[in-house]
Amino acid sequence: MDAESAPAFEDACKSWVDQGVYRLVIDMSELAYVSSMGLRSFITIGKLAQEKGEHLRLCRLAGLVKQVFEITRLTSIFPIYESVESALATE
Amino acid sequence: MAIAAESLTLGAAIEFLKPATDFVRRGASHAGLTGERLGVVELVIEELFMNVANHAYPSSAKGCVDITWSVPKPGLLTIEITDQGTGFDPLSKEAPGLADSLDDRPIGGLGIFLVRQMTTSLEYRRDGGRNRLRFEISASSDD
Repeated sequence: MDAESAPAFEDACKSWVDQGVYRLVIDMSELAYVSSMGLRSFITIGKLAQEKGEHLRLCRLAGLVKQVFEITRLTSIFPIYESVESALATE
Repeated sequence: MAIAAESLTLGAAIEFLKPATDFVRRGASHAGLTGERLGVVELVIEELFMNVANHAYPSSAKGCVDITWSVPKPGLLTIEITDQGTGFDPLSKEAPGLADSLDDRPIGGLGIFLVRQMTTSLEYRRDGGRNRLRFEISASSDD
């Protein structure tokens, strides 16, 4: 997720929120790359979900993406889960 | 003398981001960087290239970015990024707050922080009306 692709992710998440879907679970297992533009989108959507009383939930972080989230301490901000199922099951 | 070295000049605009990362990935391959280390190279180039594209030149002007990579020894990639834009030392930026609360987190400001964390020998100088940023990325994350 780079400067070119991050806006599409952000728009898609905003569209769900606009439709009243506030519990967003992002399966990160297929995401191999994220830059600061991608992080900006995660933080933006996280704040949006929080305004609606929910949390942006992330699961299956790995490799470079996990490293970037850890370095920037976003792993302390977003709830991180081992699987989509556990993210959905948690209230 | 470097084992291999190449330079490229590109427009300072988002449409040249992919050519920029492709170019530097070639240098990374020469240096023997693989896997996640290639991703680190791509990440650092994106952050610095977009920093120039977004901030170095007035919005009405078209500017360029010069990128040079060299491999001084196996396992080490040296990169220099140069532009002729407004004098700006990205390393003078204060480190972003990494608060554990989403409320206290600014939306942006993490790009240069990531560059600092993922490179070594990072240096800026203003030289002959040009911003020059030089750094190294090694094949091993332990170096």
